[in-house]
Amino acid sequence: MLKPGDPIPPFDLPALTDGRRDRVTLAGINSELVVLFFYPRDFSFICPTEVTGFGKALSLFAAEKTSVLGVSVDDVESHRRWAAELGGVTFPLLADQGGEFAKACGVFDEREQVAMRATFLLDKKRTVVFAEACPINVGRSVDETLRIVRAYRSGRLCPADWEPGDAFGPGDRKY
Amino acid sequence: MQDGVLTTAGVLAGLSGAVSSHSQVVLAALASTAAGALSMGAGAYLGTNAESEVLQSELARARSEIERQPYLAQEALLDQLEKEGLSREAGYRVVRLLSSSPQTLLSTAEVKIFGLSRSMLANATVDGLVMGVAFAVGALFPLLPYIFISSTRPALVAALAATAVVLFGVGYFEGWLARRTRWRSGLRFLLIALGAAAVGYLIGLAISPLGGTAG
Repeated sequence: MLKPGDPIPPFDLPALTDGRRDRVTLAGINSELVVLFFYPRDFSFICPTEVTGFGKALSLFAAEKTSVLGVSVDDVESHRRWAAELGGVTFPLLADQGGEFAKACGVFDEREQVAMRATFLLDKKRTVVFAEACPINVGRSVDETLRIVRAYRSGRLCPADWEPGDAFGPGDRKY
Repeated sequence: MQDGVLTTAGVLAGLSGAVSSHSQVVLAALASTAAGALSMGAGAYLGTNAESEVLQSELARARSEIERQPYLAQEALLDQLEKEGLSREAGYRVVRLLSSSPQTLLSTAEVKIFGLSRSMLANATVDGLVMGVAFAVGALFPLLPYIFISSTRPALVAALAATAVVLFGVGYFEGWLARRTRWRSGLRFLLIALGAAAVGYLIGLAISPLGGTAG
C-alpha cells in the first residue's frame, strides 16, 4: 500500500461525474489537494454511507481546494445506476475494472477481487501525504478525512484531534 | 413404532429359545417393553432438548450479531443472494426491501447467513412422549399373542405373524408417504423384522445351555 511520500501512479480511467460518462486523468485534476477514496463495490450497504457522506461534505472539501474522487472495480454503467439509487453523486466515481489502479496503489483485495476501503490524500505534486485503510466492514469517517485535509493545509503542527480554531503546536518544531 | 415391534419381537423370539417358562417370557418381554419405551422416550427428550438449547443459543448469538452490526448482516445477505444467482443490483434491492422491516431482515438473515430457523425448534416433551408411546404401542403387537396364548411356540408363531403384518403395514405406509413402491417398502420392513427375529431366536438357542433351561 502506498504510504506518505510515495507518488500516486498516473491513471486515466472512465468515470461517472454528476450523472455523465467522463474520463478522469491524474494530470487533468487541477485542485490543490485530492482525496482519493477506494471502496469495495457499488450496491453495498456500507459504501453508500461513505459516498453520500463525501457528497454532502463536497462544498467543505472544495473550500479547502480539495477535490474528491471515488474509485471501485465496478463499471461506469454500474456507477450510473447506483448513483441514481443514492439520489445522485456529483463528484467523479472512477471505474477501475480489473482493479489495475487499485493494485498499483497496493489496495486490491485479491481474495474478494475488490478494492480495499482505503483513502489517500494527495498534495500538489500528487504525492501521498496521508494514507489509511479500514477493515472491509468498517466505514470511514468523512469528518475525519476533512479534519486531516484542514490540518494538513494549515501547514502547522496540529495536536491530536485538532480542529480549526484550536491552538497549534510549537512553531519551532518539525514534529 | 417399528423400534418397539422389532425390539419386542426379537426379545420374545430370543426368550422363547432360552426360557422354558411362558410366564417368565411374558414378564421379561413386558419389562423389556417398559424399559425400552422409557429409554427411547428419555433419549428422544434429552436429544431434542439438547438440540433446542444449542439452536436457541445459536439464534440468540445470530440475533445479537445482526442487531449490533446490521450493515454486516445486509452485506452478508447480499453476498449470499449473489451466490444464489441474483445480480448484485437485484440482490441489493431485495435486501433493502427486507431491511424496511427489522424483523424480516433478522429472520431472513438467520436462515440465509447462519442456516438457522425457528421452525427447527422442536418440543422435547412432545418428542419424548411420542417416541415412548410409539415404542410401547409397537411392542403390543408381538406381545399380545403371548398374553392370550398360553403355549410358547404357538404364541411365538402368532407374535411373528403379527410382527410381520405390522411391519409390512408400516413399510407400506412409509412407501405411500414417500411416494415409493409400497409393496417393496413393506417387504423391506418385513425382511428386516424376520431377520432380526431369526437371529434373536438363534442367539437364544445358542446361549440356552448356559442357563440349563432350554425349552
